[in-house]
Amino acid sequence: MTQTIAPSAAPPAAVPSTATAPVHRTGLRGALSRTPGRLRVAGVVSVLAAAAVGVIGLNAGLAQSQALSDADADTTQLVGIQDVRNDLVVADATATNAFLVGGLEPPEQRARYDEAVASAANGLAQLAGSNAADAELLGQATAGLTTYTGLVEQARANNRQGFPVGAAYLDQASSVLRTDVLPQLDELVQANSDRVDASFDSVASVPWLLALGILALAVLVVVQVWLAKRTHRRLNAGLFWSTVLALVATIAGAFVLGSAAAEAGDARSGPYDATVSVSQAYSLANDAKSQESFTLIKRGSGATYEEQFVLKTDEARELLLRPTVDIELVGLLDDWVASHQEIRALDDGGRWDDAVALAISEEPGAPNDLFQTFSTAASSSLEASAAQTHDALSGSGGSSVLVGWLMLVAGVLAAVLSWRGISKRVEEYR
Amino acid sequence: MTTTMTRSVGATLATLALLAGCAGVPAAAPAAQQRAAASVDLPATLPAATVCDDSFESTMSYAPGPGGGSVQAIRDRGALHVGVSADTLLMGSRNPLSGQIEGFDIDMLQAVSNAIFGDARPLQFRVITSAQRLEVLEAHEVDVVARTFTMNCERWETIAFSAEYLTAGQKVLVTRDSEAQSIEDLEGLGDQRVCAPEGTTTLERLQETYPGVEAVAAPTHTGCLVLFQQGKVEAITGDDTILAGFVAQDPYAKVVGEPFSAEPYGIGVAADQVDLVQFVNGVLDQAKADGSWAASYDRWLAALGPAPTPPVSVYGR
Repeated sequence: MTQTIAPSAAPPAAVPSTATAPVHRTGLRGALSRTPGRLRVAGVVSVLAAAAVGVIGLNAGLAQSQALSDADADTTQLVGIQDVRNDLVVADATATNAFLVGGLEPPEQRARYDEAVASAANGLAQLAGSNAADAELLGQATAGLTTYTGLVEQARANNRQGFPVGAAYLDQASSVLRTDVLPQLDELVQANSDRVDASFDSVASVPWLLALGILALAVLVVVQVWLAKRTHRRLNAGLFWSTVLALVATIAGAFVLGSAAAEAGDARSGPYDATVSVSQAYSLANDAKSQESFTLIKRGSGATYEEQFVLKTDEARELLLRPTVDIELVGLLDDWVASHQEIRALDDGGRWDDAVALAISEEPGAPNDLFQTFSTAASSSLEASAAQTHDALSGSGGSSVLVGWLMLVAGVLAAVLSWRGISKRVEEYR
Repeated sequence: MTTTMTRSVGATLATLALLAGCAGVPAAAPAAQQRAAASVDLPATLPAATVCDDSFESTMSYAPGPGGGSVQAIRDRGALHVGVSADTLLMGSRNPLSGQIEGFDIDMLQAVSNAIFGDARPLQFRVITSAQRLEVLEAHEVDVVARTFTMNCERWETIAFSAEYLTAGQKVLVTRDSEAQSIEDLEGLGDQRVCAPEGTTTLERLQETYPGVEAVAAPTHTGCLVLFQQGKVEAITGDDTILAGFVAQDPYAKVVGEPFSAEPYGIGVAADQVDLVQFVNGVLDQAKADGSWAASYDRWLAALGPAPTPPVSVYGR
């Protein structure tokens, strides 16, 4: 028992001091030139090496767990920001589409708009609370959202009185959203996705920390070889078991941390990739949906909006074609884009009224219905892949911490064993 | 009646026009003065050095005719393609309740369409901004443009106009409690921002003639109203026809002062479709003569007072 305490703090200071304190400089040299002194030094070195394995293991385990939880938190933040972005474009798409109807907007569209705005406002507040680094840009986005909703209400009030200035307010609202809110969110999406990437990188690199443990093992082996030559005994039991223990701990640690890193890597190239892709595609599709309404609102001057529509849907399509994404989604997007072509064909053929009727129809198979089908599928796919990512990242954090502590215990035990092994040899000289 | 009277004046002007070179004088004569000018002895009073003088010849168009190839092409296509505004209340705006585009400009276009097809066929609308008016005609993207389109010599260089169908005058709109009666008053107050739409004669004149106020451009007239309601500009300047539409939408706005320019409105047509211009002129003369012009005026522009005598058509190009 006394010996288990000794190696942790006493040996490096106590052992040399008892031997050398009275003799001073020449005494110290003298002590080191004699075998027991050298043995004590070897003991200290092997204790430190064994303890190092434990400390490295603990650090690696904690760092791994931290990186995993960072990746998890940043992914959650990223998905949260994209959710807010999606809510906002949904709100805008709904408001502009409702405007096309003329007269009073349909109550269900109004409800959809209200719901989307409320959800975006909630989301912004939560996001600002969950990561201080994002708070400033989120504040700007929140301010922009306030302006946006104010303008939409003004557009509504004027529209309700039959004043065409309502259309100008709606126009302004849309452009405020696209200059004061969405760019801020896009910047945050970029910042968070960079952070997620960095966290994933460190999850992958942490297991290499254990390579330092191999250095410590090498020291233990060298000490044993030296000892074997000096004492003419092949094996020192204490040192031998200490080395075995440290080796086993390092291998087990490398295995556990490595598999956690591999799992995180799988999540990164699987559900995480799907989450980011679908989320972006969903956002692009909603943006395109607003543009569709504007091609009709602008009546004949919608060519630039149509260009935007094509650009955005093409980009969304490309994202949905990624191998990680559910292949069903791209089919649903295509269905909707095909129905959009019908609207364009009617409008380009001079049948604006029919085009509008089709664009605002809530009948099954109409563009709005097909878009809704795509939205629902994209949202549920998004939820599922985000949950998978979260599970993959939060599951292995605990085992990383556990293996870290186990490695520390193993390191301490190995240090004790080393010290006892050396002590026996030293006692032979008394 | 009007046409026969003006034709002789137009003929003398045409000969004069051949002798002269365009000085590009900005329109500044009030509407009343301009209308009077049509009936006086012009050759004696006009300066000799202009091909197209904005004070008068800018309103001169081609004599009415039955229409030729371009009119037939429209008939074959089955719809008249028109460039209009959808947010200028009273002249051309989308009625949010019915979704229809309506107004005085639209009535004129509908009359042209009815005459081409012989039935009340829906117009094929293309909603454009003021700045797009010339380019859609030059590119033949629409057949005609009626969008509070002031006729002037500079525009005659790239497109053609019908005869004048409405005379507007530029005025100022201010807040209800403002004491300013003119842009000069606003200049005197200092730090006043005045809005006008991009690509209009109004904005040009504002920048050139009134350096004492800050000219603010908006994409459309209605864009100016939004800025005005948000307190980002103190006043809007524009044609009385357009400002009347703003007052109808905003009880806290008022139009002040006398018109400080004449804005003769014409229907824009591509320069190479003279037969269409001639056809349109026939339709406009008919509308001015049979009372349908006055009926439209009373329906949309009653806020400007009772229907005046329609502007005199001037021909001779």
